[in-house]
Amino acid sequence: MTPLAPNGAAAPRRKPADPRDLDALMAASQAGDGAAYRALLIWVSSHLRGLVWVRAPYLPREDVEDIVQDILMSLHLARDTWDPSRPFRPWLATIARNRMADHARRYGRRVAIALEIVDIDETFCDDATNNHADKVVNFLAVRDAIQALPPSEKAAVNLLRLRQMTLAEAAEASGTSVAALKIAIHRATKRLRGLLSDGHGDRDTRPD
Amino acid sequence: MATETETRALIDRLAAAPEPVRPIAPPMHRAALWLALSLPITGALVLAMTPRADLALKLAESRFVLEQAGALVTAIAAAAAAFAMVVPGLSRRWAAFGLAPAAAWVLTLGAGCVSDLARSGREGLALGADAMCLPYIAMIGMAPAALLVAMLRRGAPTAPRGALFLAMLAAAAMGNFGLRFFHEQDAGLMVLVWQFGSVLLLASLGGLCGPHVLCWRHRSA
Repeated sequence: MTPLAPNGAAAPRRKPADPRDLDALMAASQAGDGAAYRALLIWVSSHLRGLVWVRAPYLPREDVEDIVQDILMSLHLARDTWDPSRPFRPWLATIARNRMADHARRYGRRVAIALEIVDIDETFCDDATNNHADKVVNFLAVRDAIQALPPSEKAAVNLLRLRQMTLAEAAEASGTSVAALKIAIHRATKRLRGLLSDGHGDRDTRPD
Repeated sequence: MATETETRALIDRLAAAPEPVRPIAPPMHRAALWLALSLPITGALVLAMTPRADLALKLAESRFVLEQAGALVTAIAAAAAAFAMVVPGLSRRWAAFGLAPAAAWVLTLGAGCVSDLARSGREGLALGADAMCLPYIAMIGMAPAALLVAMLRRGAPTAPRGALFLAMLAAAAMGNFGLRFFHEQDAGLMVLVWQFGSVLLLASLGGLCGPHVLCWRHRSA
């Protein structure tokens, strides 16, 4: 039976790779062999997907793929730093560890920002009145509230608050204007305040 | 949000026509290249600032030669360690290799303080103001620092703070090496506090700026 990761995805089955094969593939990749490079990247992506699943079982699949892609890009940019006389795996492990740590820091900031969207002092700011279960419930409430937003506002929150893009970057990514994004994030914040303060949503504001 | 299909597309794109790459040179080779380029620049700046009148006498003093050797070896070792820090998978013992000569350099400066104390008593350890050390060291170390950063960018920034701390230590040590050829300040405690202190300050600032200067060149997903 295929084991399931906590995020609901089937953990990939991989054939254990011979380190010498990986070294040979990387050496050929450095020489410009596209087929070898493709085979190497496929093995790396499969291996890393499993690794990220094990290290961060709470991440949704999309975030896991984000990390895998980021590591692949980093590998691509740094491939001239691999010395053919040294083993490939420690080199890859250092890059993967570094990129996963970066993502963990970013994930922590995203969660903190999501919680800051609503400033209900007695619930969020005073640790003495909170416990871990409350924080989890609050986080889920914020997530649900974001899901309840109209598409344009949800996109604005996702790009500007969760992914921490600048207005210009978010405008480029979403194909909309900076002004429209400003309005959307303003409305989203107001609507989230309403949704999370009375639990019934802001009835004065209408979705786009 | 990314999907496995997009990951496969990314792999196809990266592997479509990979350009051959030449592995970067070992850290010691890169440090040697950096030294070969930095020393003439430092020499030119020393000449521009007018070397000290007693330079010939100082070069005959074993204490001066030892302290200058300490600064130069610190610069070379720290540069090599900085280059090692941008190569994933290399042992972190390289960091210790980069810092050990700095410790030895401090010991030579400390020995100078003891020697001053033995020769002149407490007056030998008088600490005055010599605030020009920092700007001079920064000025002489600027070109070697810029060169190091440019060379470090061809690498993987897996330890940007450590790499830039060591790089700035190397550049500032080179700056201090040049400074003492035109700046007539040899009192042990003054050199230790103002000159080595400036080197340490510049290296620490470099370490703090590391993640902003050395970062992955692709945008995170």
